[in-house]
Amino acid sequence: MTLSRIVCCALLCGVLLLGACRAPSGNVAMRPVTDDIGRQLEVPASIDRIVTFAPSVTELVYAAGAGHKLVGVTTVDDYPPEIEALPRFDALPLDFEAILALEPDIAIASEQVNNPNDAATLASLGVPVYFLAVQTFQELPETIRRAGLLLATESAANRMADSLESSMKALRTIMAGASSRPTTLFLIGDEVLYAFGKGSHIHDLIALAGGESLTASFSNRAPILSDEYVLLARPDVIVGAFGEDYDPTRLLHIHPTWDLVPAVRNGQVYGLDGHLYLRPGPRLVEGAWGLAARLHPSMFRQAP
Amino acid sequence: MKRFHILLPLALLAGLVSIVVGVSVGVDLGRGEVLRVLGHHLSFGTLWTPEATADRIVWQLRMPRVLLALLVGGGLSIIGAAMQTLVRNPLAEPYILGISSGASAGASLFYLGFLPPLISKALSMPMAAFLGGLMAISIVYVVARTQGPRLSVARLLLAGVAMAALMASITSFITLSSPDPDKLRAVLFWLLGSLHTATWSALPLPAIVTLLGLFAMLVLARPLDAMLMGDEPAANLGVPVEVIKRILILLAALVTGVLVAVSGAIGFVGLIIPHAVRSIVGVTHRRLLPVCFVAGALFLLWADLVARALLPSEQLPVGIITAICGVPFFLFLLRRNEYGYG
Repeated sequence: MTLSRIVCCALLCGVLLLGACRAPSGNVAMRPVTDDIGRQLEVPASIDRIVTFAPSVTELVYAAGAGHKLVGVTTVDDYPPEIEALPRFDALPLDFEAILALEPDIAIASEQVNNPNDAATLASLGVPVYFLAVQTFQELPETIRRAGLLLATESAANRMADSLESSMKALRTIMAGASSRPTTLFLIGDEVLYAFGKGSHIHDLIALAGGESLTASFSNRAPILSDEYVLLARPDVIVGAFGEDYDPTRLLHIHPTWDLVPAVRNGQVYGLDGHLYLRPGPRLVEGAWGLAARLHPSMFRQAP
Repeated sequence: MKRFHILLPLALLAGLVSIVVGVSVGVDLGRGEVLRVLGHHLSFGTLWTPEATADRIVWQLRMPRVLLALLVGGGLSIIGAAMQTLVRNPLAEPYILGISSGASAGASLFYLGFLPPLISKALSMPMAAFLGGLMAISIVYVVARTQGPRLSVARLLLAGVAMAALMASITSFITLSSPDPDKLRAVLFWLLGSLHTATWSALPLPAIVTLLGLFAMLVLARPLDAMLMGDEPAANLGVPVEVIKRILILLAALVTGVLVAVSGAIGFVGLIIPHAVRSIVGVTHRRLLPVCFVAGALFLLWADLVARALLPSEQLPVGIITAICGVPFFLFLLRRNEYGYG
């Protein structure tokens, strides 16, 4: 009895000692940074191994020219194709063990998806977590520049940011000549009518594409619209993150009263590739061009 | 008895007023437009010609929704009353005995494509919900049976709570493992209990089943009264207790299954309404059941009305409102009335 107690105590002490030994890697040079949501943290002076916690962040890291430094992404990541070979870990909830096994210098998270409490847990395990945020659509190139600065790939990040900026500018110039600005309803679901409320990047994207977003004034960030609201609001165009192969007649089938809505009556219902619109990443600009072509088809008709 | 005769016409009047208020609440349509639409349809299209959009909103969206609220509220209340008589315990309710959860599990299994559509889609989902509910309550019933044909009430409630938890886990599991995020959102929304899918063509089935349930229970009103005294006294009076118990369980699974398939699992209506009504008209089923039906119908209609008035352009699942309004009222009632059960 006494012997087994002594053994137990010894084992317990051993475990505690082992825990105490696990200190953050001592002699790596660190530098203080402030991330996009205002958290102060220390990151290694040279960053060679990155993990990302959201698909949008992975795309931003690639856009910033640091894709080759990625050592792991989440199981829901699907772009760009280069990530196919990378190790994966669960994102919701974060699989801390799998992340630690990848020995990252830094983890980059999204303020929209990830939880600061998880960041604190990882920081105590020696992995600093940097939150990257695309606050507005206009700020997208700036976010990529910031990521380049953090990951020491400034020149590549600046090149990408410049190219996105000039692409946005070109679209804005074209749309300045548009004769109308159709009211546009952007939906996330066709059965339960999730939409974007106040503060979403989608409203700026729709404005750049030459339209006017219907749900910008909803105080709820993710309102579920009622059928009667859509009937009364009479959008000129309804677009949804339903995929390119979406059958527009499905919408009228689910909401039979919408035959009076101009968008439905005039066949202006389009399914879009959600990844280009929902992810606050570099492909939003491509999405804006695609939406512009739907809203103003006559302005984009190819010359024969 | 006199009181009862005044109560029913009053309730019907309240019903009519509530329906008119019910179709008036939502996004603003302009002065008089709602009455114009109602007048147009009630006069078979001879009077007034309403604006087309207002007509769609009032007659195609709000009216079926209001009627569905009445059916679901009334149906869940009478099933709650019957369940409470069945187990002679005030805690019984389709939600608590696992029927609603079983029906939800069956319906979501079908909705997410794990079960093949046997007949048409419109009939298969209520069918799956009915079978899910029936399976859940049957298992609960078998577990609760002690030696011989008698039911242990404590076991019944415990098994019901456990079964509800099991079915809810199954629903969560199949929902979260669904590959289609849009369907996942739809199921999560529907699980909270919502009337937003109401259309005219979706009304006949719940209407037939609910009214059939009410009718069957009214026929059984006298044996049900006898069963309040206990199984043995009822059997001594010549009531076929076990047969009636089985009929009640089947009816409960049928009505709950069909209602869950159209509106999701709306909780607390079946628990609160019978209690409130008993404290007014007493425990005799011939009075209790019709008043329960009307009171439950009106309660859900007004709960949905609150949901629509709070966020006119958005959707708020009515199940949230029934819990928020219903539970404090229920607790107040418990505190105030010390009525004996049975």
